[in-house]
Amino acid sequence: MTNKVAIVDYGAGNLRSVIRALTHLGAHVTVQGDPDRLRGYSHFVLPGVGSFRRAMDMIRSRGLDQLLCERVAEGVPLLGICLGMQLLAAGSSEDGETQGLGLIAGEVDRFSFDPAATGLKIPHVGFDAVTPAAGSLLFSGFGQEVDFYFTHSFRLLCATQEPVAAEAWHGEFYVAAVEQGVVAGTQFHPEKSQANGLKLLANFLERF
Amino acid sequence: MAKKRLVFTLLYQQGAFYLSRNFRLQRVGDLNWLNNNYRFSSIATAIDELVILDVSRQPRDIEAFCAMAAEVSANCFIPLTLGGGITTLEQAETLIRNGADKLILNTALASYPELVHELVRIYGSQCIVASVDYRVEADSFTVYVEQGQKRLDRPLARYLDELEDLQVGELYLNCIDRDGTGQGYCLEVLEQLPPDFHLPLIMAGGAGNLHHLLAGLTCPQIDAAATANLFNFMGDGLPRARAHLIENVIYMANW
Repeated sequence: MTNKVAIVDYGAGNLRSVIRALTHLGAHVTVQGDPDRLRGYSHFVLPGVGSFRRAMDMIRSRGLDQLLCERVAEGVPLLGICLGMQLLAAGSSEDGETQGLGLIAGEVDRFSFDPAATGLKIPHVGFDAVTPAAGSLLFSGFGQEVDFYFTHSFRLLCATQEPVAAEAWHGEFYVAAVEQGVVAGTQFHPEKSQANGLKLLANFLERF
Repeated sequence: MAKKRLVFTLLYQQGAFYLSRNFRLQRVGDLNWLNNNYRFSSIATAIDELVILDVSRQPRDIEAFCAMAAEVSANCFIPLTLGGGITTLEQAETLIRNGADKLILNTALASYPELVHELVRIYGSQCIVASVDYRVEADSFTVYVEQGQKRLDRPLARYLDELEDLQVGELYLNCIDRDGTGQGYCLEVLEQLPPDFHLPLIMAGGAGNLHHLLAGLTCPQIDAAATANLFNFMGDGLPRARAHLIENVIYMANW
């Protein structure tokens, strides 16, 4: 059966690459920002670029926060990408403390290492290796180290290890992907990560 | 630690792709030429990012530019950076809406810093790539804007400090003297970087073969090596370049 995927549109900017990747995988993709019309979908994808506060403001003003939490409670799988994954958390310190969707227990904060002392750069941009956790559904069929494309200055730290589906290192260990029940998220951009990314998105469509 | 990147840059003007030599443009071919010689759907696996610049010297047609970018990148699942003459929020928004993962800004950095601030606020630092063109004059490194036509009154090092204050996400550093010459990157410029410079650095200008790319990526300060040389990497040139880099233990992504 064809997957019907809704990309949750709250004015998050470039949706084209995620539309293209999901369409490439055979999904029927709709971009939808109206909570009243976000029904009847097999999967939700929450994209995101820009600041946490601005994204949450736009999500709340459209009533999408409540809707997403309701759909997740009904068992509709949700994948957050990049900022979209961070929005799943309880909150973030970006642009002042902001409350998130609270679907994953954890907090988003700026990388805490000193770039001058480590020689590492912020934002963290480019392909980097992630280490999947054993038994992760998102990373089914992958090896112990997989490359994905990242671009971010903030990172998620989970309250417990349980939802952590993959970790990566950039001056410190941080959460590269989460999964907990029907909720999943990736700090990296699977839609911009070549064959590895397409495979991960296929896992989300098939296994969630 | 992020892996090193190989970046391919396309220069576009009114329906065609161009080779630039010291910022003088030579028409190479249209979209058909590009498809016949590059086929991005199959060789995109050799590059980490694609940059497309509208280098038009005449007024730009942003809709046509976006349509071309969408066609070129149709089957590329890699980051796409678009730019060239962005001076308004509306233009930036149009590029983002049409598939730009990142925006590349040059003249705006010097002439419209408030626009840069606004773009960083809306889209985040990671979305904004600062493009800086410079010439080596006597012993000084001098910044030029407006497609290399306008000389700025401050040295490169000071300009780079200002860019960090603008909170841009990356630096695309292009040497006008080396541009399109195929003589290799101007690596001397690395000494001009402020000591605590922390932006990811994309090196451009002068890469004519895979040895130049290797020489660039071997430098610890350089995160990405870009080439816009349309002739030297035709056919399987990019896949061969990537294989060469990996053989020479450059830390690059595997797919």
